[in-house]
Amino acid sequence: MATTTPDQADTESPPMDFGDLKSQCVAPRPSIMGRRRSLSGILWLSFKGILRGLLTTLSYFRRPSTVVTQQYPENRDTLQMFERYRGRLSLIHNEDGEHGCTGCQICERLCPNGSIIVTKDKKNEATGKPALDQFIWRQDTCTFCNICVLVCPFDTLEMTGDFESSVYDRRLLVFNLNEYAGPTADQLEKLGDEELAKAQMKPMNKYHGPVPMCGGELDGIPKLDTGKSDDA
Amino acid sequence: MTVEVSSLKELVEQASGTSGSPDTQEYFVNMGPQHPSTHGVLRLVLKLDGERVLRCIPVLGYIHRSIEKISEHMNYMNCVHLTDRMDYLSSIMNNWAVAKAVEEAAGIEVNDRIRYIRTIFAELERIQSHQLWWGVLGMDLGAFTPFLYGIRDREVLNDVMEETIGARLTMNYVLPGGLMADIHPNFVNRVKEFIKYFRPKLDEYDDLLTNNVIIQERLRNVGVLSAQTAVQYGATGPVLRGSGVAFDLRKDHPYGVYDQVDFEVPVGTVGDSWDRYWVRVEEMRQSLRIVEQLLDNIPPGDFLVKKLNSKIKLPEGRYYSQLETARGILGVFITSDKKDEPYRLHYRSPNFNNLWCLEPMIKGDYIASLIGAMSSLDLVIPDIDR
Amino acid sequence: MNLISTPLLAQADPASAGAAPSMERVPTVSERAAEALQHGIWGAAFYIVIGLVAVLIVVSVLGLVMSYIERKVAGHFQCRLGPMRVGPHGILQSLADGIKLLFKEGIEPGHGDKVIFIGAPIFSITATILLLAIVPVAPGIQVVDMNVGVVYIAAVSGIGVMGILMGGWSSDNKWSLLGAMRAGAQMISYEISLTIAILVVVMFSGTLRVSEIIESQQQGWWIWRGHGVAIVAFCLYLIASTAELNRTPFDLPEGESELTGGYHTEYSGLRFSFFFLAEFANLFVFSALATTFFLGGWLPFHIGDYEGFNRVMDILPPVISPLFWFGIKCTALIFLLMWFRWTFPRLRMDQLMRLEWKVLLPFGFANLILAATVVLTGLYFFPTAT
Repeated sequence: MATTTPDQADTESPPMDFGDLKSQCVAPRPSIMGRRRSLSGILWLSFKGILRGLLTTLSYFRRPSTVVTQQYPENRDTLQMFERYRGRLSLIHNEDGEHGCTGCQICERLCPNGSIIVTKDKKNEATGKPALDQFIWRQDTCTFCNICVLVCPFDTLEMTGDFESSVYDRRLLVFNLNEYAGPTADQLEKLGDEELAKAQMKPMNKYHGPVPMCGGELDGIPKLDTGKSDDA
Repeated sequence: MTVEVSSLKELVEQASGTSGSPDTQEYFVNMGPQHPSTHGVLRLVLKLDGERVLRCIPVLGYIHRSIEKISEHMNYMNCVHLTDRMDYLSSIMNNWAVAKAVEEAAGIEVNDRIRYIRTIFAELERIQSHQLWWGVLGMDLGAFTPFLYGIRDREVLNDVMEETIGARLTMNYVLPGGLMADIHPNFVNRVKEFIKYFRPKLDEYDDLLTNNVIIQERLRNVGVLSAQTAVQYGATGPVLRGSGVAFDLRKDHPYGVYDQVDFEVPVGTVGDSWDRYWVRVEEMRQSLRIVEQLLDNIPPGDFLVKKLNSKIKLPEGRYYSQLETARGILGVFITSDKKDEPYRLHYRSPNFNNLWCLEPMIKGDYIASLIGAMSSLDLVIPDIDR
Repeated sequence: MNLISTPLLAQADPASAGAAPSMERVPTVSERAAEALQHGIWGAAFYIVIGLVAVLIVVSVLGLVMSYIERKVAGHFQCRLGPMRVGPHGILQSLADGIKLLFKEGIEPGHGDKVIFIGAPIFSITATILLLAIVPVAPGIQVVDMNVGVVYIAAVSGIGVMGILMGGWSSDNKWSLLGAMRAGAQMISYEISLTIAILVVVMFSGTLRVSEIIESQQQGWWIWRGHGVAIVAFCLYLIASTAELNRTPFDLPEGESELTGGYHTEYSGLRFSFFFLAEFANLFVFSALATTFFLGGWLPFHIGDYEGFNRVMDILPPVISPLFWFGIKCTALIFLLMWFRWTFPRLRMDQLMRLEWKVLLPFGFANLILAATVVLTGLYFFPTAT
């Protein structure tokens, strides 16, 4: 079919010694007309191939049970994501609403594109140790590489299967993952004083923080101010 | 008519002149960057005489993201996740290539479990890549149904991998020194289910496309790439093997646990699109074989050699490592200056070399053949541009 | 339509009355118009308007219904559901699409030939409407019943290609031009095979009038009575009509994966929908004509002299029966064509031409000569009572 190109003409010269594969190979598979066959053979094979193709598609047409389409918004109740699905980063909070993040910033350092910003209180008044101030995660730039979850020495990060995160305003994709600014669950327990511990758990403004795109006021969009986390 | 031209500009000037006979005129069309069959943003400048392709000049750069440059400011663990975005259909194999290079340079020995799991995932990924390719080839040649069948089966496999990894396309699973996560407890059973499901589907693929005389005639003697040319152009993978060169890194320079499994490598004879087609279809069967052999023998062990492997520092020097992705050899070249970031990181991507085989393959043939030949090359454009 | 039909019918009327076929003859719309013309112009105008409106309604309804059916059928061939959103099971989808197309901007290419560009879709749909006029749905439900019906079909079906050629030429787009040139070559070539296949039936029935061709099949459809010869002719007709309809495996003029849409690349909005309507109406017309020529048109399924069986087949009341049988046969053929479309890949241009000129045409001519022999020697089954 193709006209001979100079490159193809080269093949006429003695072939190079190719094929030092250290194993036997699968036998070549000639096409119907690729091998010398009688006309009836070609016709029969062609007919057979075409017929089997038709029967294949018909077999699916006949059986509506083979339909694999999932009607997404309708099947929302039954839809199950895999437990490891990387949909949204979240900071694990225990049943008392306490997190385990010490603000060590390893995740921030190892985030490939700076999607995590961790700020910390240098010295917490009660514990005397550094405590987490803000754990800001930018979903708009996150590549979901899972490295932060892997490297977290306190296993306090996880990826959740929440995948419905489309919004109309990019600013809405910047999250403060911690629900309060303050020491970790362990440190609070060491205090021994429940009242004092409660006092350390300052509520977080979810969208407030030093992230450039976050918190400011844009035309037509009111300043975002939701005190309580609503991504649960 | 043979013209030696060096630049695109020169070529256009020639065509706008009075070349050819007075009643016909050669003309140029841009195939892409928005074209249904260039699968992404590949642009081919075609010089046509009627429907015959006289020249075919790929123009690149539409999806260049400077992955190599960005990697120079990243530690080796972070470099990995960018490779997902190169050849997104072999992302695990891309990850592995970087991991392999770093491990070889830093002298990190990974345990058997890691090697087994990596090999299994690489083969699963090869299958899903070929599944998509199979469907897309059908669609390029005008049959829309194979595309959906291919996608349907790929979805099953994607679910299997998603359960362990948590992502479907940009997986970032293999890291220098181990894996991102251990395999899911269901993994082995689900892969077995998949193999049971997919074996009959492969026969169905044969019924639908492989044995169809139209597809065979669209591919046979189209885009003939001689072994000589393939080697000269540096083609690798199924493109090279379709041309009759029996070269597969999995056999010739085994990595992972490929030296412990029994599989065959399909090698073509003519080097036309048909050879590349059945080589890939056969590779799916062989990959199933490999996975089947490994699945029950995954040894126990850790999934990560060291917990925190961000501070890997390579000794000063240059390192090259390569492995066989679904499309050919992905080489990773690292120049290190003792830091935890590469001084220079270069990828030898298989698609880049395979792409340039296009022109010698289809010179003088029809546009329709160009589509068939291009499909049989199985190009992924982000891998060409990086 | 009426310009052509009226004078012809003036001559045709006495002839048909003289032929006095076995069945009681119901006058067609145009015959009623011709009759009313003797009493006054308004009666004739009334029938003409009825015919026109009927054809227009049929075209638009066909476009809506067939596109829905096509998408549903395609969906289920491909393990999908097809449209499901607009209305229950998406039955209003094509209506929604139609409304969308109505409101879309009709873009004209800047350097295109505007007059031809606007005229092309009109040409395309006119050819379809002209063809629809002769489709015999049931006794009397036919706009024109010409004595030279088959010649008319052969003549008018050639107009459609003009629309496509004009559209591709005026679009100022090389892909469109390629598509149009492909369409021209393809449709003109396959028209020959189409006509030759129909001629076999004309030979059998000895008439060019479509209603008489149907009536000649009272003793058995031509596809049975003409045994081998007619079956070959039917296959030829199917292949050639698929090519005429530009449907896969012969959809080269559109060639979505090659030419990004071919001749209608530059069309949008209502103009595109004209091409679209013409395509679907043509699908119906060619199936209806195949029904007429080979499958006995509106006649019920009879087996020779098996009175009991035949009576069961005649169970439907005389008004519904023809519509039912015509509908059944037509739907089956349309389904067959859709089945082909969603299974096969596309041919290449040279293969297409080779198939026509080197295979179908010689076969067709040989078949025609064979058919002549069969007719001369009276070798067909169930000879008529006369």
